[in-house]
Amino acid sequence: MSARFPVITGQGVIAAPGTNVAEVWRAVADGTCGLKPLSLFTSPRYGQIPVGEITFDPHELGAPLRGSRSDKLAWLAVRDAMRAAELDVTKCGERTGVVLGCSVGGSYDSEQFLVTLLKKNRMRPCATRFHECSAPVDLIANSFGCYGPSFAISTACSSGGLAIATAADLIQSGAADVIITGGTDSLSRTTWAGFHSLLLVDATGCRPFDVDRGGMSFGEGAAALVLESEEHALRRGAKILARLTGWGASCDAYHATAPHPDGQGAIAAMQAALRRANLHPGDIHYINAHGTGTRDNDLTEARAMRKVFGANVPPFSSTKRIFGHALAASGALEAIVCIEALRRQQLPGNPGFRQIDSAIGLSPVAKTQAGHLRHVMSNSFGFGGNNAVVIFSHADVMPQTRATPVKPASVISLGAILPDQVVERSTQWPLPMVTVTAHACSPFSDLNTLSSIQRRRLNRLSQMAVLAARRAGRPEPTQRVAITLGTGFGSLDEGAIFLENLIAKDEAEPMPTRFPGSVHNAPAGQVAIDLAAHGLNSAPTADEISFESALWQALNQLACGEADEVFAGAQDELNKYPLYLGKRWGVWDAVNQPGESAMFARLTPTAAAPLARVNALRLGRFRQPFDPVAEAQWIANAIDLTTVPLIITGAQGWRKFDSRYLEVVAELNRHRSQKLEHQTYKQDCGEFPAASGVGFIRAVTAARERGCRVLLYTLAWRGGKAICLVEP
Amino acid sequence: MAIATTELKQRIIEALNLQDITPEQIDDEAPLFGTGLGLDSIDALELVVMLEKHYGIVIKDIEEGRPAFRSVRTLADFIEARRPAV
Repeated sequence: MSARFPVITGQGVIAAPGTNVAEVWRAVADGTCGLKPLSLFTSPRYGQIPVGEITFDPHELGAPLRGSRSDKLAWLAVRDAMRAAELDVTKCGERTGVVLGCSVGGSYDSEQFLVTLLKKNRMRPCATRFHECSAPVDLIANSFGCYGPSFAISTACSSGGLAIATAADLIQSGAADVIITGGTDSLSRTTWAGFHSLLLVDATGCRPFDVDRGGMSFGEGAAALVLESEEHALRRGAKILARLTGWGASCDAYHATAPHPDGQGAIAAMQAALRRANLHPGDIHYINAHGTGTRDNDLTEARAMRKVFGANVPPFSSTKRIFGHALAASGALEAIVCIEALRRQQLPGNPGFRQIDSAIGLSPVAKTQAGHLRHVMSNSFGFGGNNAVVIFSHADVMPQTRATPVKPASVISLGAILPDQVVERSTQWPLPMVTVTAHACSPFSDLNTLSSIQRRRLNRLSQMAVLAARRAGRPEPTQRVAITLGTGFGSLDEGAIFLENLIAKDEAEPMPTRFPGSVHNAPAGQVAIDLAAHGLNSAPTADEISFESALWQALNQLACGEADEVFAGAQDELNKYPLYLGKRWGVWDAVNQPGESAMFARLTPTAAAPLARVNALRLGRFRQPFDPVAEAQWIANAIDLTTVPLIITGAQGWRKFDSRYLEVVAELNRHRSQKLEHQTYKQDCGEFPAASGVGFIRAVTAARERGCRVLLYTLAWRGGKAICLVEP
Repeated sequence: MAIATTELKQRIIEALNLQDITPEQIDDEAPLFGTGLGLDSIDALELVVMLEKHYGIVIKDIEEGRPAFRSVRTLADFIEARRPAV
């Protein structure tokens, strides 16, 4: 196998300072502050505080009419990146995937559903259609004909960096030749008021690393990179803009919002990226810091840089005052700053910095200036102590990374909270009352094993995650442990309570505890604290294949040697909004009933007596119209089915998919004398995006009890698909 | 008039969801953060919201509130000094 070096062949961007790479670079070169007063929505309490808002209409630039604001921003950035890379969309196919960071998702649009309901007493359910953080990935994959592995990474402010790192993993593992990657997040009332409630916003605009810094500034935007293997780029004659040579991730496992005071997680992520790139600290010529401008971030990040680079911290700067902090887009916007810095041999400046802070003891590059750059590092840190670091290198550099195909792994234990009762669940204020039959989890029998702060502070979804992980058992303290926890919807309860309160009270009494609990990676971050797990901490989201996306990241971490053990899981909770909207749209019926669960599988590369082995995992997307013959062929090409007697699918849920599953199974059986036995699990756990985690438990149990190989096959409603082979 | 610490304790318990604790169990002088009640930085932010909701005191920088959050006593004194005139 060739080395499969990841290279960047195209970039696209839309953010406060501009709608293309040249405009954005001009703002970086001039040190322009991109912040101005908020106009996207009214904010009675914080309206005058400057923000990095995109003030032109995305539709005028050609964005599609359907989709959330985040979706449209992402679409524009991806279109421009693909044009720049001269990537022929008709040839993308199965070897091209999409991995974007997204943490706000469609919140800005779905908030309007609640605003009109609470303020005007009118119902506009369509506003919620693109709420999920995975929606931009699906929109892009479907519009640009990408049928390869696709999912979103939703780890708050580190999402963009982690998405780019994951894209590099997909390329180097051989799972895809091209990944459209980057990040997108629009402004939203939730994040806007949420960060204000945490007293983290500087009313005069952020001043990263300055002695008088008083917090962050908000922003929005999207940035996209076309990342591909060097072989693929050379084969199609593409121009290589820069290389992605190092990437690393870690978790502080310390606190929901505050960074570790010594920057331990940041240090580990920077070192992991250097290790992956096979570079020494002295090889790095510039660092684009996370540099939000909060007292804590800038201080701990500087401490971490000192620890990694010693007395020779390379020139560094934060470009947050140019863009505002665009959350999940931030790491992607800064990737573009880094790539342009390499191409132009310029050190980007740090607008907002005036005077050195003696506690920090380091000054950033104040103004953009000429430099000599071969390798540059970009830091992204987020809630949940989540850290992602990437290293970009000049196109002429000879990289040192190695291809690392994903290998089989052992399942050593399972832990889960499964729905054990069928209940009539009624929706409440502010929604009209409807009653829906649902599969629900009983109160947790082991709730009292949680500490008093875990019982008091953690929302139900985070408690479910922590308890499911504990039920899987504790790792040995010497093990390096990573966590990948997929979710379709994240903490809907927490997000809804925060937003209902915000709108009903006109921002008067925000809920600072609930905001950090509402991000998708909050439960995974709490599991990390509970287990002292300092490795990768990822929250992938991809509708019905959220679990399989988490499983892919887990297998990859083990194959790369970045973790000794991974807790791979998936979870979703029952919430009144999907209950109500599903009822209104006629989704729920006698067969298809909503459900919930949380589960983890503990995975190691090998084990003496594993429960089962995960032997193959493939992610992809199906074409429209759905073709069962092509789907059966896709499965047969990946897995030798002659010795597989059992297939477990996501049928018995959403009825539109029942016929698709049945047609594919029939097609697989057409040439077999011994027919595949077809089992389903949604009749027991209900329908929810993370349900295939329950299917995985079923597959492991069947493989163990019957001593046979089991195929788990999952389709997602916006186009994703996954197969996983579990064997004794 | 000095504010009643029992009432203040009740509001702290409500704001921070301290289900297992009664006002009598909180010592006026004991530290609220770290040891003592074992509160953390996010609890401090909840106290900021509570101060505005019940006492009309707006805190824009957490450093401003930090000395007040040492104990129930210091918090009561802070409210007394900062409470808008009625």
